[in-house]
Amino acid sequence: MDMNSDKLIVSKVLILDDAVGHFDGLKAFCGDAGLLGIRPHGDAGSVMSILRSNVDLGGIMLYENYGGPAGEGLGLAREIHALRPELPIFLRRDATASVAGLTERDAAMFRCAYTLQDLQHLRASLDASIFSRVYPNDLVRGIAEMTRASLESLFHGCDVDMETPYLVKDRIIHGEVFTMIAIESNWCRGYMMLQASESALLRLLGEDCEEREPMGFRELNNVLGEATNLIWGSFKNRYVGTTDTGLHGQTQVPIIINHHRNYISFGSDDPQLCFKYTLRPQGRGDVAVPVYQRFVFNLSWSPEAFHENPSVEALVESGELELF
Amino acid sequence: MAQVLVVDDSSTVRNEVCDFLKANGLTVSAAVDGRDGLDKLKADPGIKLVVSDVNMPNMDGLTMAEKIRSEQRNASVNIIMLTTENSPTMKERGKAAGVKGWIVKPFNGPAVVGSLKKLVG
Repeated sequence: MDMNSDKLIVSKVLILDDAVGHFDGLKAFCGDAGLLGIRPHGDAGSVMSILRSNVDLGGIMLYENYGGPAGEGLGLAREIHALRPELPIFLRRDATASVAGLTERDAAMFRCAYTLQDLQHLRASLDASIFSRVYPNDLVRGIAEMTRASLESLFHGCDVDMETPYLVKDRIIHGEVFTMIAIESNWCRGYMMLQASESALLRLLGEDCEEREPMGFRELNNVLGEATNLIWGSFKNRYVGTTDTGLHGQTQVPIIINHHRNYISFGSDDPQLCFKYTLRPQGRGDVAVPVYQRFVFNLSWSPEAFHENPSVEALVESGELELF
Repeated sequence: MAQVLVVDDSSTVRNEVCDFLKANGLTVSAAVDGRDGLDKLKADPGIKLVVSDVNMPNMDGLTMAEKIRSEQRNASVNIIMLTTENSPTMKERGKAAGVKGWIVKPFNGPAVVGSLKKLVG
């Protein structure tokens, strides 16, 4: 990655446009717009295969006649929208840069319609839907630096390479194991996640511990958790003001999730308070849907300070609370 | 009896620090959070140095340090924080809690082993 380039972030878009000569033009347009244009090799089936795989996408540029005679692309759009409704679809049409002539339901699938004669319209829509949030270059550069340093300190003997950072609209979880930690300051609130394949990481870590017992998934979870902790600490030290009441005042520990093992750790071995509910449709004795609820007070637990607030009714009656 | 108590919720860090200190001639025990750290310290009067993380479940490292300092029998126990935290606010809180030193992660054993040995006495 060129850390000195003006544009540090890109986004991948899937280009579904088989009209002769159009792909190259669209790809060039994407380059100017900060997009990496990719296209499937094969038929519509391969498109769905890509969408089911772990390809992070910012959106899809679809030709209305993609894959066949007039309107063929619309059928594919319906499939795509059903599978990945979070992905914006930009519809290229031959004659008009609008969704005129489509049913209301079909029209709602598309973020915009454009023609090759009016790519500025597409550009504006792309900027609004994919690049709608501006991430400062210094922040992007800094995150890359601190993450690389943290990973290198934990994965001894590994080089840490990085691709150009990118924006996604999808909600994919890569692999089976991921960590999550809250990030809070006076300028941002949210979470950081690390996501990885369990088997690939286990193989990697196994090569680094010849003299020890082979690593299991719990040890792997711990390594990924510590990586999360190191990056989180670096982020906080570098970007969160010392007067912020968020991160500096609160304790956080990584949450570690392993889908493959049905495993989630909040860092503490204390028992969780669980409830199980069952939803039963009236008149349908054969249907029972369980819902599990768990409370995990892993960061702080002081039952001696437990108290219940006075009821709203009591407050209203005593005249201490005025409801508007 | 251990000379050093290593307190960290990450087994990766616990193992790394404990292995390093053992390899450098110190006897070591470990705890998984502040609450566990207090229990281990109470059970082992030989501990002269506590090396602790700050951000841990159940009880954070600074709260643990405050509780250690609040008991007279721990007066000779030195406390070092090993943490990703680097803010002056946190360090001030550490000083006020009676923490003797502060190490920002990742752990670099060779750079600090001499000082840690001195604190063990």
